[in-house]
Amino acid sequence: MSYTTGKNTGGGFLAGLRNGLSPMLNKEMRSRTRGWRSPVLLTVYLGLMSVGAVGFVWLNMARGSTINPQVGLSFYGILIFGLVLLLSFIAPAVAASSISGERERRTYDLLLSTGASLTGIVLGKWLASVAYLLFLVLAALPLLALVFLFGGVPPSTMLMAVLVCLLTGLGYGALGLCLSAVLKRSQAATIVSLVLVFLLIFGTPITAGIAASNINNNGYAPEYYGAEVQQPGVPWYLFMSPLSALTDAMPGAGEVGMGRGMPLISSIMNELMRQFQPRVNYEYAMKVSATSSVIRGGSGPTTGGVDNVKKPGLMASWPYWVRFALHQGILVIISLLVAVTAITPRKPWHTWRTRKNIL
Amino acid sequence: MIKTTGLVKKYGRVAALQGLDLEVPNGAVYGFIGQNGAGKTTTIRILAGLLMPDEGWAELAGRNVVRDPRGVRQVVGYMPDFFGVYDDLRVGEYMLFYASAHGIRGAAAFKLRDDLLELVELGTKREAFVDTLSRGMQQRLCLARSLIHDPAVLLLDEPASGLDPLARVEMREILRELCRMGKTIIISSHILSELADLCTHVGMIREGRLLRQGPLNEMLAGDRVRRFILRCIDQEEEAAGLIGGWPGADVSNTGHGQVEFSLAGDAAEAAALLKEIVGAGTRVTHFAQTEQSLEDTFIQLAREVNGA
Repeated sequence: MSYTTGKNTGGGFLAGLRNGLSPMLNKEMRSRTRGWRSPVLLTVYLGLMSVGAVGFVWLNMARGSTINPQVGLSFYGILIFGLVLLLSFIAPAVAASSISGERERRTYDLLLSTGASLTGIVLGKWLASVAYLLFLVLAALPLLALVFLFGGVPPSTMLMAVLVCLLTGLGYGALGLCLSAVLKRSQAATIVSLVLVFLLIFGTPITAGIAASNINNNGYAPEYYGAEVQQPGVPWYLFMSPLSALTDAMPGAGEVGMGRGMPLISSIMNELMRQFQPRVNYEYAMKVSATSSVIRGGSGPTTGGVDNVKKPGLMASWPYWVRFALHQGILVIISLLVAVTAITPRKPWHTWRTRKNIL
Repeated sequence: MIKTTGLVKKYGRVAALQGLDLEVPNGAVYGFIGQNGAGKTTTIRILAGLLMPDEGWAELAGRNVVRDPRGVRQVVGYMPDFFGVYDDLRVGEYMLFYASAHGIRGAAAFKLRDDLLELVELGTKREAFVDTLSRGMQQRLCLARSLIHDPAVLLLDEPASGLDPLARVEMREILRELCRMGKTIIISSHILSELADLCTHVGMIREGRLLRQGPLNEMLAGDRVRRFILRCIDQEEEAAGLIGGWPGADVSNTGHGQVEFSLAGDAAEAAALLKEIVGAGTRVTHFAQTEQSLEDTFIQLAREVNGA
């Protein structure tokens, strides 16, 4: 018996990263396409979307032989809202068992004893779950294409909606992965991540709504002209909810007085955003340099030439989806860092002790 | 050379290791013996770079486990006592996965996969799903996995646990082959007779402290206490009484016409005792020194520690 010796190329950060990324992606993708879980999840996912879409169309068609032009927009809104919600909960659920699952299968020690760096392992796990989400989004595209039968939704808007879906999956997937590394059990990680995601999606707008009502109660609304105008700005935490970004992914969303786009949710979110935007009387705003973006706090010269109006911060001029992307990016970075720290055998205090001994 | 100095590891208030000093020469097969909870697995996990000690140092092939855990992982092949497999992978894919995780890809990885599967006699199972393998086959697969990056040191934690006798023999043969390849192996096991067949060195651990270590032959020959068996006709109780009263003798078993006992002292001491027994009128049919086993040594050492 004999065997040829393997050439160990593991060394250095990049090699360790590659040793983690490449095999993890390969294995996870292979595993996800085997067994009964993946087809069942895909069937349920597309089934729910299809039932919603067919049900909506059927209800609208049943009212008469003509179709209201608004139907297409509403149909699109419901589809996107459903897609975001599904991905919001599927992403952490998929990622929540990625590291704790290794512990439960007793493959964790074997994995850590390889030449793969911890960062590579975590990134590989995360990208594998992201790739699966991408697959789910792609699988839903034919359903989204139904929107074009009704018209009224430009492709660019739909692309933005798909982007919001992906951003949602990236961020919440990283959160699930982080909890999977911190909590030892997959069940606990899944439950906690789903609760957190629920709070992020719906809790932040509700909190913002309460904050907005406090602003109103405190009498910030400028009933007068020319005085300093309060601009509390949209609270940062509101952009941890994909609902904030969805207001950008709706045709004509955010415009003054618009009531189109995603029914109910979009209207609520738009109204909520307005509560925090420059509290300028519309007529006063028109006098100074008014554009519709004053009300929305969006891009464009919102307060030019008016000294007594506090200028909004840099981010206030950013589109909502960009601010959402920024928050998701921060969530991803923090989550992945925490995950790497949680699984490393060599904690910071070990490093400190080593340095102390060397010195 | 593997060396640990003053290793301390605590889990909450429980001290798993209390200043463990270990020395394993290059190319040795080091049997790590101890009761459950003695600290064997903790030591092996520290040596594998999977656990950091609270105090003390450990070095493998010149790499420090605290300062350079990644470097340690490159020279160590680790096989845990309880391990799982990826059920949804085939045997060949499983090997390629770990080869890739060690930075071995392409044709080299395929060649290595085939050679290692042949080494552990799983060449015919390459396309089988891992979860369809028997426990013994999974143990051998895990051993092949731990060899994939050609480590200089192998850390095997209870590699024969849960195996049937035939699978144990197969595992022992594979380990012998690895010895011939010059690997330094630390192997923990409860089956001490198997360690005695395989090991060149032995370390005995108890409650996180090393009781004794050294070359196996020295450990066995160095014992002052020898075990004897005496057979006689119908008078084993009287013979046991005589032996029990002899200084340095300790009867361990009596019945069915025979007495098993241990005796501290040399051959002259044994001859004197036999003369006394025969002189007392006992009809002795057999008197012989039994071979000192690793198990006897461990039990005796444990008793000495308890007595102390």
